[in-house]
This record gives sequence, C-alpha cells and structure tokens, in this order.
Amino acid sequence: MQLLDIRNLTIELKTADSVIRAVDRINLSLKEGEVHALVGESGSGKSLIAKAIVGALNNRWTVTADRMHWQGVDLMRLSPEKRRKIVSKDIAMIYQEPSLCLDPTANIEDQIAESIPDEFLKDVSIFSRRSARKHRVIALLHKVGIRDHEKVMSSYPHELSEGICQKVMIAMAIARNPKLLIADEPTTALETTTRAQVFRLLKSLNQLKNMSVLMISHELEEIADWSHTMHVLYCGQMVEAGPTASLFNLPLHPYTQALVKSMPDFEQGITHKEALYALKGTIPPLAHLPIGCRLGPRCPQAQKACVVTPIVERSHGHAYACHFPLIKGK
Amino acid sequence: MQPVLKVQALNKTFRIRSGIFKRRLLHVLNDISFCVAEGETLAIIGETGSGKSTLARVLAGAEIADSGQILLGSATIEDDGIRELSCRHIRLIFQDSNRSLNPGLTIGDILDDCLRFNTLLSAKQRLVKIKETLIKVGLLADHQEYYPHMFSGGQLQRIALARAIILDPKVLVLDEALSSLDPSVRAQIVNLLLKLQKESGLSFILITHHLSTVRHMSDQVMVMHKGKIVEYGDTEAIFNNPNSIITQRLLNY
Ligand SMILES: Nc1ncnc2c1ncn2[C@@H]1O[C@H](COP(=O)(O)OP(=O)(O)OP(=O)(O)O)[C@@H](O)[C@H]1O
Ligand code: SF4
Ligand SMILES: [Mg+2]
Repeated sequence: MQLLDIRNLTIELKTADSVIRAVDRINLSLKEGEVHALVGESGSGKSLIAKAIVGALNNRWTVTADRMHWQGVDLMRLSPEKRRKIVSKDIAMIYQEPSLCLDPTANIEDQIAESIPDEFLKDVSIFSRRSARKHRVIALLHKVGIRDHEKVMSSYPHELSEGICQKVMIAMAIARNPKLLIADEPTTALETTTRAQVFRLLKSLNQLKNMSVLMISHELEEIADWSHTMHVLYCGQMVEAGPTASLFNLPLHPYTQALVKSMPDFEQGITHKEALYALKGTIPPLAHLPIGCRLGPRCPQAQKACVVTPIVERSHGHAYACHFPLIKGK
Repeated sequence: MQPVLKVQALNKTFRIRSGIFKRRLLHVLNDISFCVAEGETLAIIGETGSGKSTLARVLAGAEIADSGQILLGSATIEDDGIRELSCRHIRLIFQDSNRSLNPGLTIGDILDDCLRFNTLLSAKQRLVKIKETLIKVGLLADHQEYYPHMFSGGQLQRIALARAIILDPKVLVLDEALSSLDPSVRAQIVNLLLKLQKESGLSFILITHHLSTVRHMSDQVMVMHKGKIVEYGDTEAIFNNPNSIITQRLLNY
C-alpha cells in the first residue's frame, strides 16, 4: 500500500527582490515497509522536503503541491491541528545533531517517558502508571541497544556521547510506534563503529516492525546496501528515482552516473591512486541557480536544449529528468 | 628507501580533572612510532578520542609531545619535547577550513602573510608564488582579490590546500579534511591531492573515517585505539585481512 504519495512538491523562499525555488516540482512515493533513500548533496533540498512533510517549515517558506497523500488523506487540505495530530501519531523524525535536539535541562528518563503517549498506558491502573512507564522506557532503551539503562536514564544529554544521544533520539522516535521514520542524516555526527550500529538498528526496526524509513543522506555509499528504492536530487530538482540496485547498475542520468562513478569502489576496476571520475565545477548557491536543468553548467552531456527544464520520463523502471539520458528507449 | 618522516616513541599526556580535587593523567599518545616514505600516504583510522587529532597537531608543531623524536629526512625536528621552531615542512589541514581563514583578509593577503612570516622572498617573488600556487590547486590567479565568504566549501578546501603547500612542505597532514565535502566535490579534491603527490612527491598523512578514500589513496594504514597503535601495515593487506578486533570493527561496516 502507498503510505506517502507526493506530486509536484514545490518549496519557495521569498526574499526582498525575488522568489527562490529551492525545491522544484518533486514527486515522491513510499510504500509500507519500505526503506526509501533521498540522496542529494548540500543545497539539494533534502531536509526541506522532510520538514515540509511533517509541516515544520516556518512561514518564510511557501509550500505547494498537487497532492501530499498520507495513507490516502491529503495533508495539504487538512487544518493545521488535524494535520499535526496525524503527523505526530504516525511520523517520527530524527536529526543530524542528536545532542542539540534533546532538552539539556531534563534527564533521559524523563525525556523518553514524555514521548510515550498516554493511550499506550490506558489499560494500566492509575496507581501503577509510574512504574509501567518506567518499564517502557527501559524496554525502549534495550530495543535501541542500550544495555546500561540505569546510567543512561539518570544522565543529562551533555554527559552522553553523540552515538548514545542518537540512540536515545531513536528510542523517543519509536515510542509511539510510528509508521514512518524520517531520518535526516542521522549518522553524520557519529564515528564509523557507532554509525554501523545505528544503521543496523534502523534496518532491524524496518524488518521487525515493518516501519518504513525515509533515509536522507548525501553519501550514496551509506544507503547502497539497505535501501529498497532511492531518489536522487540535485539543487532541488528531481534527477532520478527507482529501485536502488538498478540505479546503481544502470544509471540513466548523468548526475547519478557521476555519483556512482566517483566512489572509489574497487569492483569498478579503478586502480589504486588513479584519478576518480568527477564532475567539473561546484554546487551553485541557492541565489544563483542556473535556468533549465540545474546540472547544466557541470554536465558533460549538456546541449542547447538543456536550458529548458527536462520533464520526468520513465524507462527501465526508473523515473528520470534529462533531455539526453545515457541509455535510450524502453 | 629512506623515509621522509620518521616518528619514534612519541608520548603525550594531558592532565584532566577527575572528581573535585583529584587530577589524573590521560595518556593520549602512547609510544607512537611510524615512518612515511616520499610520495606515499599513511592513513590513520580510529574511533573518536583515540588520539588521531592530537597526533596531527603534534606533527604540525601546534602541540609539543612529552617525549619521543620526530625526524624529517636526516634532521631531527623535535626531540623529547624540544621543538626546532623553524620547521615548515609539515603542514596541517583540517575539517573546517573556512573557520581557519581570516574573513577580513583577501585570499592574496592570507597567502602573502604565510610567505612573509616564513620565507625571505621579495614582494615580487611572493606574488609570483601566490599565482603559481592558486593555479596549482585549480583556482584562478584572480582569486587572490576575493574574500573567503565568496567561495564554496570545495573551493575553500582548495584555498586551505594552497595555504598549506605554498611553503613547499614535504608532508601534509589532512585531519578529516575531506569529510565535510560533498561526494562530487570530494572526488575533485582527492584527484587534486593525488596529482600533487605524483608531481611533487608530497607525502600525506590522511586522517579520515571515509574508508573507501583510505583504501584508494593510502599505501599504509595505522589503526589507533586509546592512544596506542593496534595495527600498522600495508593498506591492501589490512583491508583484506585485519588482525585486531578493533580494526575488524572499524572496517566491517
Ligand atoms: N587539550 C586537551 N586537554 C585535555 N584532554 C585533551 C586535550 N586534547 C585532547 N584531549 C583528549 O585526548 C583524547 C584524544 O583526543 P583526539 O582529539 O586526539 O582524538 P581523535 O582520535 O582525533 O578523535 P576524533 O575522531 O573525535 O577526532 C580525548 O580523550 C580528548 O578528550
Ligand atoms: S538535461 Fe542536459 S544538462 Fe541536464 S543532465 Fe541531462 S544532459 Fe545534462
Ligand atoms: Mg579528531
């Protein structure tokens, strides 16, 4: 079943003298139980999309969409209160810097306890709620792989490492059994070993609880082995979307190809210390986006037609937006 | 082959507070020895707090070790906590290059300062050198008129690189210098580093958690844990057959 289905999501920022289109008509859909990766380099609008889904953008931003369906309900057409209710029940989000997202003045036990919804405890008599809640907190900590729960529960965020903080964030996120977890670069602040733990944890939550994950990342390598489908963005435009393995093996868009080829993966026959495949130039700042296909100035395939924004087409099971895809035909 | 850089039995401790009155010595570098040959790259990996950055700072002279020697070629540049100050052959680049560049100075001024303090070149020679260096790192000679805020992340990393190589060092220490870059830009910087190494025999000490970069760029790997070396050897050998549990944990990801 389609959990999330977004058509032509556009996010604009009004500045004194112009309107900047930070996200330009993006389509995104996500099935139940799926791990979907949203990949893009800085400035590609990944976090904006995530915030638009949960309705967390402030009013400097204008969000429009033909539809934004959550289990068949159009979030865009709901009143803010109703929307917040649905979102907070079904969707949870974790962020890049966990220690900044936790409340520095409360201990971990209180913070996790607070995220457990009251209705989960309604079968428990009033008198034993306190201890029931505490048991749930402990169970949640165990679930995210924290065994030393006594010590962590009585700690304050600054006394814990980023890795533990991120696990606490995940514990809080899964406290209400969300259907979808949006993870916005959850491992950038973590070191390799902890990173692997967090990925393994998210993977097992996906498999055991059938929780969908929208995994946001700028690093293709991180999501390669465990996302089912992925969506590549560049400067707020849709680049290519489809099953992860197929995008890796048969990229149709020059940008997807560049990302795949720039990984010094030894299977691809690059010898040690040989120059990597790299696009020229750098990512343009939001205020100076090229017209038409935004990859234009950096694209090795670019031609005159590219000053017109390419429309999304489908072939080989991918959706892509490029006038001159690498492989033609069905 | 004669190594360019040789490090022998480096030790470094910090005095840290533990409890209200007690102070405790924290052994951050414990008997570190290694060497790097000309034109080769040594990668250092390890968990947070394993002492990688401290080692980087000691090598670049930003911090002094308690004991041990650092030798460059045949000259001793640090001996049991005494640093020969005029050494500019080991240079350090770190992650937030934009924070380390003075926002009030143009790129030309930043590079010129570096030359004025460290060399005896005339104003005219310095200008030539600045232009040459900017071109070497893939920027334009005109960029010397620009201020740091006018550059993107990838370009700033090129400027940091320009500032590091303008003194013609023998060894460049890169402490997570590639980590914050976007993949398409990182590939460019990796290529630039490889090109510099090939052309001028520069040696690198590469500190990063980005394993595929380690494998692609380095000849040797050193694994650190709590201030000690737990494994040290040829990159391919270690990637194919890591011996210590710590290395295995870092690599199987
Ligand atoms: N000036 C200092 N005073 C006291 N302790 C310090 C100081 N600098 C570093 N340390 C300690 O030394 C240890 C090693 O730190 P270092 O920064 O070298 O680790 P690292 O391996 O670079 O870690 P990371 O991967 O997080 O960069 C840490 O426990 C740190 O807290
Ligand atoms: S539309 Fe043109 S510029 Fe854009 S990716 Fe395709 S070929 Fe390149
Ligand atoms: Mg460090």
